[in-house]
Amino acid sequence: MAAARAKPSPRDEGARLGFRLTLPAQILVLFISAFPLLMQLYISVTDWSPLSGIGWWNAWEMWNSFANYTDLAADTRFWSALKRTAIVMLVCVPAEFLLGLALATLFADDFPGKRIFYSILLMPMMVVPAVAGYMFFMLFQSGGPVNDILSTITGTPVTIAWLSDPTLALIAVMIADIWQWTPLMFLILLAGLVGVPEDQIKAATLLGANPWQRFTTIVLPKMKTIIIIALAIRVIENFKIFDTLYIMTGGGPGVATETISVYIYKVTTQDLIWGYVAAIALAILIVLSIVAVFAMKRMAKAREVSA
Amino acid sequence: MSAIHLRNLVKTFGDFTALKTMDLDIADGEFMALLGPSGCGKSTTMNMIAGMEEPTSGKILFGERDMAGVPMGRRGVGFVFQNYAIFTHMTVRQNLAYGPKMRGAAKAEIDRRVGAIAELLQLTPLLDRKADRLSVNILQRVAIGRSAIMEPAIFLLDEPLSNVDAAFRAVMRTELKQLQRQFRQTMVYVTHDQLEAMTMADRIAVMDHGVLQQVGTPLEVYNNPANVFVARFIGAPGMNLIKGRPAESDRGLVVDLGPLGVTPPLPDQLASALRGANGDVFYGFRPEQVTLAERGLAMPVTFVERIGARTIVHLGIGEGAVKAVFENAVGLAIGQTAVVAPEASSVRVFDASTGLAIKVGG
Repeated sequence: MAAARAKPSPRDEGARLGFRLTLPAQILVLFISAFPLLMQLYISVTDWSPLSGIGWWNAWEMWNSFANYTDLAADTRFWSALKRTAIVMLVCVPAEFLLGLALATLFADDFPGKRIFYSILLMPMMVVPAVAGYMFFMLFQSGGPVNDILSTITGTPVTIAWLSDPTLALIAVMIADIWQWTPLMFLILLAGLVGVPEDQIKAATLLGANPWQRFTTIVLPKMKTIIIIALAIRVIENFKIFDTLYIMTGGGPGVATETISVYIYKVTTQDLIWGYVAAIALAILIVLSIVAVFAMKRMAKAREVSA
Repeated sequence: MSAIHLRNLVKTFGDFTALKTMDLDIADGEFMALLGPSGCGKSTTMNMIAGMEEPTSGKILFGERDMAGVPMGRRGVGFVFQNYAIFTHMTVRQNLAYGPKMRGAAKAEIDRRVGAIAELLQLTPLLDRKADRLSVNILQRVAIGRSAIMEPAIFLLDEPLSNVDAAFRAVMRTELKQLQRQFRQTMVYVTHDQLEAMTMADRIAVMDHGVLQQVGTPLEVYNNPANVFVARFIGAPGMNLIKGRPAESDRGLVVDLGPLGVTPPLPDQLASALRGANGDVFYGFRPEQVTLAERGLAMPVTFVERIGARTIVHLGIGEGAVKAVFENAVGLAIGQTAVVAPEASSVRVFDASTGLAIKVGG
């Protein structure tokens, strides 16, 4: 019998050794990503909360047959928070993209003082979001600098209560996000822009293309991959917008600036219904995963096209 | 119309002078090679003709027309880049159609022109291929086609063969020359490879350190180099030059090469041209135009290179070192002494202080 058993080929041997060597890392990855996910999935189908008096591993005793998910579907506060998040994203990300692209185009050429402007431009990105939140909280006070500037421009005293008005508060929050994250967009797009082969731009010029034609037919197509990366990063990050916003408005006035993250935070810390929180978070994860997969597919395609 | 005239053209970059007064006339339909080592100013000259760089001073005329201030997109020049600069995110068809499309030609017109140029360059079966996975010779044809479709009066080529491996270069040279015959445009070809210049060009402009050294047909430049630089640069190996002093002998005027002895007497015309001058000269002769003789320059053999049928024999040491090329195996070995005699008609003499050739009959 022993003779019939084939000796493992060197290739199998190598694969087995590789498996054994990567096992610790695999276990680590399992605990970091798979375990919390499964735990979340498990809790999301129960009524468990830290006040239940039982460990989370016993949460099956509080099984509620997917009631969290049916509740979620009917939760108007959740849906309006989702809608608000989407609005913020649809305004902020394109604004950051267009500003970033304009700045990157500007910085692709040399001009006096470029290095200084470059450093200044990158600064917002370095500011801790909570600090940025305080900054904009102060800026948008009714007696704050923003109103002062508006007063100087218009010539009449302006006392807008930015953060107490539902619409203006949302606008103020978006301005803060655009201020802080345009630099990241700028940085990524600049890297893409300087990577466009100069000879091809010259060739296009010699063939009679004007600057706009060069931009649309050569520069943008060559930057496609990096644009998708930049947009994907910002879409995902912006979806999770929290710290700056929470410090500026706390999600208020009322729920006027309550985004998904703020809503989850409130349900977690104030209502303490963690089973429900797990269900919300899982739903968000699915949405973001779809975005990420879509972006990655587009990226693979773009790379094929521009390589 | 498509002749090019460069008048007192100067280009400096800060402290660095890339081009010191260049004057050159390129005739309509001529294939002119700008030849020189790296940093000689040949690419700078071409970039100025294309309008990619502004001359510091001087004029560029296309025919009668002064090109100062004419942007590169309006000069009507076709430009083939060293790396071809093909738009890799497009198909071959889109590459060819780029120029007419940017200038707003009608769709039917573009299709007709792309079809015609593709036919001419044998690109028709490849029209819908992506341009990022093409072989070099096809890239070259696309690059030429993309410019040729604009029907430029002037074609500029910037070392288009420098990225190609040696074996393939011969094929590409032939192809390029045939293309030029088809298009009949004025072509300016920048290269540091004299073989390319010699085989393709109608005339060669040899440049060094931002100075035009000589303009002439390949044979003129080879046979009658204007100065020491051209003599050494053209030919593989370059012309042998040995420093010496003219001296009278009973057989006529010779050059006293010091320890190497005296040369065979110079041809009459050269001798009479040289008699007026005084001071040191360079005695020059082509390695290919040397014979083993009874009388001549006796030199030790230091190295023998066999390259197929040709044999390159290195003779002498130090400043008097020369090379001789023979079209067959010669019975010479390292350490032996060879007596070589340059063919009288091939001898050239240069003024050692100015480096200029002593002109015969002038």
